[in-house]
Amino acid sequence: MSNLGDLQSLASSITAVTSPFRNYLSDQYEKYRSLDEGVVADYIPELALAKPEWFGICIVTTDGQVFEVGDCNQLFTIQSISKAFVFGLALEDHGREYVNSKVSVEPTGEAFNSIVLDEKTNRPYNPMVNAGAIATADLVKGKNSTERLKRLLEMFKRYTGRDHEINVPVFLSEKETGYRNKAMAYLMLNFGMVSDKVDETLDLYFQQCSILVNAKDLAMLSATLANGGINPVTKVRAIDEKYVQDVISVMFTCGMYDASGEWAYRVGIPAKSGVGGGITAVVPSKLGIGTFSPPLDAKGNSVRGIKVCEDLSQDFGLHLFNFAKPERDLQEWITGGDNLNDW
Amino acid sequence: MPKVVSIHSYRGGTGKSNFTANLSTTVALLGNRVGVVDTDVPSPGIHNLFCLEPEQMGKTLNNYLWGEIPIEEAAYDVSANVGVEGPGKLFLIPSSVKADDIAKILKDGYDVKLLNDGFRSFVKALQLDYLFIDTHPGLSKETFLSIAISHVLILILRPDKQDYQGTAITVDVARQLKVRKMLLAINKVHSKLNLDALKQKVEETYNEKVAGVFPLSEDVVQLASEGVFCVKYPDHPISQEFRKVAQQIIEG
Repeated sequence: MSNLGDLQSLASSITAVTSPFRNYLSDQYEKYRSLDEGVVADYIPELALAKPEWFGICIVTTDGQVFEVGDCNQLFTIQSISKAFVFGLALEDHGREYVNSKVSVEPTGEAFNSIVLDEKTNRPYNPMVNAGAIATADLVKGKNSTERLKRLLEMFKRYTGRDHEINVPVFLSEKETGYRNKAMAYLMLNFGMVSDKVDETLDLYFQQCSILVNAKDLAMLSATLANGGINPVTKVRAIDEKYVQDVISVMFTCGMYDASGEWAYRVGIPAKSGVGGGITAVVPSKLGIGTFSPPLDAKGNSVRGIKVCEDLSQDFGLHLFNFAKPERDLQEWITGGDNLNDW
Repeated sequence: MPKVVSIHSYRGGTGKSNFTANLSTTVALLGNRVGVVDTDVPSPGIHNLFCLEPEQMGKTLNNYLWGEIPIEEAAYDVSANVGVEGPGKLFLIPSSVKADDIAKILKDGYDVKLLNDGFRSFVKALQLDYLFIDTHPGLSKETFLSIAISHVLILILRPDKQDYQGTAITVDVARQLKVRKMLLAINKVHSKLNLDALKQKVEETYNEKVAGVFPLSEDVVQLASEGVFCVKYPDHPISQEFRKVAQQIIEG
């Protein structure tokens, strides 16, 4: 039986390479690789080292098929994408009511680093802006900083199926230069919205942003959410299924910084981006998208990543509220119908 | 839509490269733009049939797989070499025959995804109607890929117990890879055998169609891979059999 299993698994890895859907992604890669717009984040020197030509697209379906094109193994720091998943961990640690008492879920329309708190409740607006993410990181349980970091890394491992490390130079630079984030944390401490272990929490926040991932990890993160919280390849549960909807809905309303409304309207796929150049996007019950390309637009989202998500949404009708028959049938392109012209 | 044809055999020495050269040339002679890729990286050879000498080869498939060049830079127009004229064209992407290059690719391997992407770029860049893939015998990642990617898979076998067994294995793999169309070709058949009976027996054994039966031919041996047989002897029964196989590829 094991022989049959090996043959099947090799055959399926090969058909993932030759599938029309991967050919479609390969065409996307070719279409946008020469797109010369956007700038690589350079607010800390380590981020500016990223090569603008790096470009990877990975899609993982909820039945565990992996389609990769381009630089899918290139590591980069996860940055703000971590915020969505740490929010999930905080929900598991404390429950919805308590977490909501500390962080609202209202889109701000303001930039990610704005220092704004809800005037009535003093809560940061949502877990995707820096203030909200720091308040969320504060909620991660653990008896000391090491244990909290370990729990966070273990959570990412459950999602992606592999061990993750921190990029120490990025972490140290963020820590050294993160005056604005520190100011926000102390402002929230002043209002009693975060606990008094502020410095430890800030470290944890800077560390979570400095976790190294690749485009495939980003696709696994979102595919796990799309699959109700279970990694579709390893079958490991990454998050309690009752909180999957919390994470996805906050991604939908606040995930793309202050371009979130426009994104929800035009692309209609819950997503989270990071200044490292990554985007992770969830198509519930279908697939997870991970894209990586460092040049960012004015709002901090990866230029090529946006293009790929827009095309995927349009071509396969992946907008959450789409009812029109798309130009391409996703299932047919994945399984390889005979009548497709993918050449 | 372009059509991809992979030619494969489980064991070596079945006449795969010779078969690929003759079939691809026959299809080009019918006025098609045809590309051939020699994916037999460990033991390349089909360039001889297309009269492309190693000293004329600049870039090869190896350079593409190492990420050095776009694949079309390794494509050579061999139409004139073999005598394909008119609207038909024949392009070859050879594998390197330098021992160092072969050693390097065996040692370091390569990303099989690149091969898939390269096939597609080759087809697009040269606007090919047909792409023929000549493979290394046996099963490997690249044979799996070429089987999975092809619209038509041609399995070559000789009437020999070792070939029969090996072909059964390959047929299983091809079905697992959901190959769209499989054809068998029986090569080097002894003149004393009843060709029709052999064809029927093979079709029954594998439950797949036999596209052509080719007798063992001293005339082919005499040419010794210096040129394409069906161009030199267009009226020979073997050339006629190739046209029959070509027709089945074009139609189905």
